[in-house]
Amino acid sequence: MKKKKRGFQLSEKQLGYAMVLPSLILVFIVVLWPVAQSFWNSMFDYRLNDPARSQLMMNANIDLERYVDNHFYIDRQLDDLATITDSEEAKETIAEIKHGVESYHATLISDEEIKGKVEKIDELLMNFTPITDSELKYSEVDNDFAADYRGALESYQQSLSTISESIDDEANSMKFMQTADLLGATGKTILKSNFIGFANYGKYFKDQRMWQSIGNTAFFTVISVALELVIGLAIALLINRAFKGRGIIRASVLIPWAIPTAVAAMMWGFLYDGQSGIVGHYLEAWNIIPNASWLLSTSEGSMFSIILADVWKTTPYMALLLLAGLQTIPQSLYEASDVDGANKFQQFWSITLPLLKSSILVALLFRTLDAFRVFDLIYVLTGGGPANATESISVYAYKTLFAQQNFGEGSVLSVIVFLCVAIISFIYVKFIGSDLFAGRTK
Amino acid sequence: MNKRAGIGFYLFLVLFVFLVMFPFIWVFLTSIKPQSEIFSTFRWFTTNPSLDSYEAALTNRPLLRYMLNSFVVSGITTILSLAFASLTAYAVTRLPIKGKGLILGIVLASSMFPQIAIISPMFNLVTDLGLRNSYLGLVIPYITISLPLSIWILSTFFQKIPFELEESAKLDGATPFQTFRKIIFPLAAPGVFTTGILVFIAAWNEYLFALTINSDDVWRTVPVGISMFQSEFSVPWGDISAATVIVTIPIVVLVLLFQRRIVSGLTSGSVKE
Repeated sequence: MKKKKRGFQLSEKQLGYAMVLPSLILVFIVVLWPVAQSFWNSMFDYRLNDPARSQLMMNANIDLERYVDNHFYIDRQLDDLATITDSEEAKETIAEIKHGVESYHATLISDEEIKGKVEKIDELLMNFTPITDSELKYSEVDNDFAADYRGALESYQQSLSTISESIDDEANSMKFMQTADLLGATGKTILKSNFIGFANYGKYFKDQRMWQSIGNTAFFTVISVALELVIGLAIALLINRAFKGRGIIRASVLIPWAIPTAVAAMMWGFLYDGQSGIVGHYLEAWNIIPNASWLLSTSEGSMFSIILADVWKTTPYMALLLLAGLQTIPQSLYEASDVDGANKFQQFWSITLPLLKSSILVALLFRTLDAFRVFDLIYVLTGGGPANATESISVYAYKTLFAQQNFGEGSVLSVIVFLCVAIISFIYVKFIGSDLFAGRTK
Repeated sequence: MNKRAGIGFYLFLVLFVFLVMFPFIWVFLTSIKPQSEIFSTFRWFTTNPSLDSYEAALTNRPLLRYMLNSFVVSGITTILSLAFASLTAYAVTRLPIKGKGLILGIVLASSMFPQIAIISPMFNLVTDLGLRNSYLGLVIPYITISLPLSIWILSTFFQKIPFELEESAKLDGATPFQTFRKIIFPLAAPGVFTTGILVFIAAWNEYLFALTINSDDVWRTVPVGISMFQSEFSVPWGDISAATVIVTIPIVVLVLLFQRRIVSGLTSGSVKE
């Protein structure tokens, strides 16, 4: 019996690990690995729209597709040039270049792996098949060799264009120039390492726009979360009683929370609109704002608009969380303090607030993190404008990543967002402590 | 609390509901106005309501296609993450494994990671897999949001199921998996359902991944599709209002049907019991 029980225990444990494992693997693939990769990307000069920097290269690389394509023509063009010139000096230079390219190329394909790739690419190019496999397309080469080869090709380009300038015949001069360009282009297929370490961080450390977007994000976060807390708490206190029609209140509180932020942002965009927006119209009529277009066309106005829209969308949610917390406070405490003659204000300070503390902190943690990551609301409502006055750090990162296609610098910004979020959570978790896990583990 | 709800309280409630619902009310009233009235007056009620804006919203852009896309992507995401998360939450709350705190810590930390720090490698991954502009191309990144969320909420629900039931099942000779399937799962089903609703809404509302990964118009989801209604030169507010009303209806229905569950799901993680 005893033995059997032990066997059961063991298998239960194994089952437990087997049940946890798939989720952990998934979390690793879709969350932890991408964040680590973002950090790694941030150390490179990595741009999707520049063929010389569209890969992460710790060492020098050669873009074999373009190299093979260019190299194919070099030999023939040089032979051509030798026939059209009479100058001995030019002939000598051409022979020298030809010999140089041949010997560098021979060194390059002395590596069996590269030789194999070159032959394969040659075949594909003959059939006009574009090369999509980056394993095949790029090959790592020795840093010194790459620098020498590139340097040599650049100097060949130089000497050919010098010759070209000294030739009077226009057609022949053109031919020399073309070959010079071909050699230059071949040089450009030999790529330098784009690993730059923390240089990108240094750049952003001095970037005005980065600091401004951090400032905007912090301002937005502090003001909107504070308003949401105060208003949410007031609403929770008011509706924490028995009354008819709770269902309507609950539904009207949940709908703003449930609709997509982007849809809410479009709705508010319409309400704020300078010409046909009702909010602008009334606020102007009541002399609260100078004119209806103030809301979206000035920096203060747009920040106000964004905060108002956020408060509208998330205060109900905050009230809901706090109401749930309020309902766990035993009624007997209030009765006892009534007997002791405490007034409502004293009751709030000495009973409600202390007992609500952990609910408030948890609600604040989730709201602060959400607000700091704000993207859709700002991106849809103002696009970060006017003049970047409402640009949050996530919006700036997004623009750098996908509008400029600069994955290196964009990753720096996203790592900065990540670090800020990590610091904020760390501070909150210190305050909340083990309460966060209460009710989940035994 | 024993406070009586007086007339002042109800007036406050009416005002509160009105303020919260005001944007919806105004957008709805706008959506049934004829085009010319939208830009000329601030009158609340139109005298000759028309459905032109609805017709325009449905024909100018593939709005129904956006809704189908959102529905399929959110549905697959919800089912997948519930399947993985219910196993994990069960093991973490009810089986004698080590490192529970660590596992929940990793899960909670992952749910706090900003999406902007995940987007660029995820974009490269989805592009390399050839999944841009497809349903699966969004489901994979959506797991980053939905899986930690489901594990977190489900583990609260699983924790509440009495341990005695499990003990007696064990005594009767049920294997752990049988216990899970026959005892825990039926009892946890309401919690799983609630979690499902919350995950579905979270996936339905996601913007950043949908914006970058599915850039082709026929693959866009509702939030991205709606946000693309404004063009460079003119803003068709009539179409936008109508489209907003159309896409909000399913959410309103969902909320009205399941409001109690949603509230219990939302608050389950935040209060100690």
